[in-house]
Amino acid sequence: MAELRYCLAWKRPDGSFQPGETFASFAEAATALSAWQPQSHSGALSTQEPCCTDQVEIWCSCQDEPATVLSRPRYSFVVYGTVAGGGGDGSEAAPWWGLQEAITGLVELERSGQLALRHGQRLRLCHREVFATSAGQKRKARAENIAKTVFMAMALMLVAPVLAILVYLLVKGWPALSLSFFLENPRERMTAGGIWAPLVGTFFLVFISLLLAAPVGILAGVYLNEYARDNWLTRIINLAVVNLAGVPSIVHALFGVGVIMFFAELRRNYGIWVPFEDRCLLAASCTLAVMTLPVIITSTREALASVPMSFREACWNMGATRWQTIRTIVLPNSISGILTGVILQVSRAAGETAPILLTGAVFSVPVPDHGWRAFVPYGLHDRCMALSMHLYTISTQVVNVPEHVEYGTAVVLIGLVLAVNSASIALRVYLRSRKKW
Amino acid sequence: MAGGFGQADWFGVGLVKPIESSARRRQQTCSTGENPKLSVRGRTDLATKSSPKPNAPEVPGGGFLRRLASGVSLTAEAGIEWTIRLCGWSAILFVFAIFFFVLREGAPVLFGELDLVEFFTSTHWQPTSLVRPRYGALALMVGTLSVTGLAMLLAVPVGLGAAVYISEFCQGKVKETLKIVIELLAAIPSVVWGFIGLMVMGPLLMDLTGAEVGVNLLTGGVILALMSVPVIVSVGEDALKAVPDSYREAALALGASRWEIVYRVLFPAAKNGLLAAVLLGVGRAVGETMAVLMATGHAVQIPYSLLDPIRTLTATIAAELGEAVKGGTHYRVLFVIGLLLFAISFVVNLTADVIVKGIKGESRN
Repeated sequence: MAELRYCLAWKRPDGSFQPGETFASFAEAATALSAWQPQSHSGALSTQEPCCTDQVEIWCSCQDEPATVLSRPRYSFVVYGTVAGGGGDGSEAAPWWGLQEAITGLVELERSGQLALRHGQRLRLCHREVFATSAGQKRKARAENIAKTVFMAMALMLVAPVLAILVYLLVKGWPALSLSFFLENPRERMTAGGIWAPLVGTFFLVFISLLLAAPVGILAGVYLNEYARDNWLTRIINLAVVNLAGVPSIVHALFGVGVIMFFAELRRNYGIWVPFEDRCLLAASCTLAVMTLPVIITSTREALASVPMSFREACWNMGATRWQTIRTIVLPNSISGILTGVILQVSRAAGETAPILLTGAVFSVPVPDHGWRAFVPYGLHDRCMALSMHLYTISTQVVNVPEHVEYGTAVVLIGLVLAVNSASIALRVYLRSRKKW
Repeated sequence: MAGGFGQADWFGVGLVKPIESSARRRQQTCSTGENPKLSVRGRTDLATKSSPKPNAPEVPGGGFLRRLASGVSLTAEAGIEWTIRLCGWSAILFVFAIFFFVLREGAPVLFGELDLVEFFTSTHWQPTSLVRPRYGALALMVGTLSVTGLAMLLAVPVGLGAAVYISEFCQGKVKETLKIVIELLAAIPSVVWGFIGLMVMGPLLMDLTGAEVGVNLLTGGVILALMSVPVIVSVGEDALKAVPDSYREAALALGASRWEIVYRVLFPAAKNGLLAAVLLGVGRAVGETMAVLMATGHAVQIPYSLLDPIRTLTATIAAELGEAVKGGTHYRVLFVIGLLLFAISFVVNLTADVIVKGIKGESRN
């Protein structure tokens, strides 16, 4: 068993280590460390280990064998070398405070047997500035940057394709967009002409569904926010609203068809008056109204909830009843919020296809080109055309439609919906900016 | 802006309930209390509902006509209140009506000639066969399942990532802009998505992969992912916002970075809300009709690769109900499929709702 030798190796400015004195015991070598004067700013080092500005090593080798140095030190400790004080355990997270503390610590560790250098192994002591960023912190910052970038990429992944698609649609549909495209009816089996008839049809559908859904939806919102107590009935209503919003649009269509069949049966068997008994504009509008009801209910509720309670209390203290309070205080103060919900309903209803596909919208209806009938081409009990349905028809059912007509129709539909939506958003932003309370 | 316009619920999902139950309770006590019956600005119609009380002060100059007018306005007010109540209950009514009318059309075959075992296990969907019509909806269910699964694979990571980014990593103008863009993304009609799938992505996919048809599972999945992402983002963001700031502050005080806060603190704390977000995304994807009708290729088969065309439950109804003979078996089987879809959406929404209510209960304690 050869004697072990401990050699102090000082760091040179170029990064390599310069072996220095040799000691017979670890404790002596450690004590000799007190001669170390750590460099604060060592450019060559900082690139390798960012937290350490200077290092010193203790190399261990057998007396009679040549010193071979392993690539990585066996032990690595950190010290705040230029301060005095005490504490720390030499680890990355809690370096020793001061060189003296480090020496004591090393000797202590060696004596207790937790630290045993064998031939060819090294111990490294790193000096760190007190306020320098530690490697852990650096890692953390890097992880945070990566996470942030990844999340940002995810958010952008939503935005970028949409913008790309919108621009693409617009470029492809641009040749079709002219005033006559809006004002002419489809001609020659939809391969020529414009989109007037479907546009009017969509307008009628949306308008009638709005007439039906807005009062019911707004009053339902009023009920939920102003009248309903916190009991099981309210909970069921909330659940019903959530479910109504979640029912697939095609099931709404089936509902519409079911109601039409039911009404037709009533009419046939009992001769009772029914609003509609076949697929028609009114039936489609009713289906759309049911479908968009939750949108209005939810936004009305939110608008009402934003009116401060104190407004209501003041009004009650004047002796007003609940309905008077609602009519004179709550509704006027939240009318614009309710309006955003109504606008939203319009955009929802204008874009829907599935519910009207089976309940009233058809591929093509002969529509007069001139006179006042061109503006009111559909009666309540007529079948009608609609823009969304028209887009579906010309892109899947009809052959030989020029591409720019298809893209033009898509652009008009998407433009319509986005314009209505943007109006709602703009109204909301404006309201928030001038809110009084 | 708390609970106000800023967070308008664009999907009508209504998961975030305004917190005013205590306020409402105050309102109850206040309005049922013994209010002195004063007339405001001398207007009789401002007397309260329960005004016929002996100690009510006399309305000045109250003659017969005035009392009549007051009576009429009181009756009118009672009528208005009842109208409001009815409208409030209308949501329940409509959900039941939807279930009832769809069931009414589907019941004759559901409890009659439809072989439910065949319906759920066979892939033979031949409703118009003259020899022997068969109604095996397995391929349609697998179609719905596969396209939804693919859409969720794409949409959930991206959607939750975007929700985290919007909620935790950006503020001010960037945040507002992103939220508006997501709202607009949600507003694009499904038929336009279908059109995009059919005309833009389909041909692109054919060029890139050499697939025989451009409209297939992959196209449908990508389109559906883009459609369901806004739901996931907005509900997910709500869930993250519902985590109390004190959690974040505590984590920051312990020296956590923002990324550590996100995945060590926010994800565990908001996991129910995030799960609900995913569920609502699934609900949206399962129920989507027009986009999958136009962009999935419409072939009744079990897909074996991403580039196989498929057909979903919703698309089948949309495509075939128009041609089916009214009152015939085929027609009624389509209503049974509708019933199945209704059940799926009901369960998904109910689960999401229960999960969200669950978090609210916990955070209150």
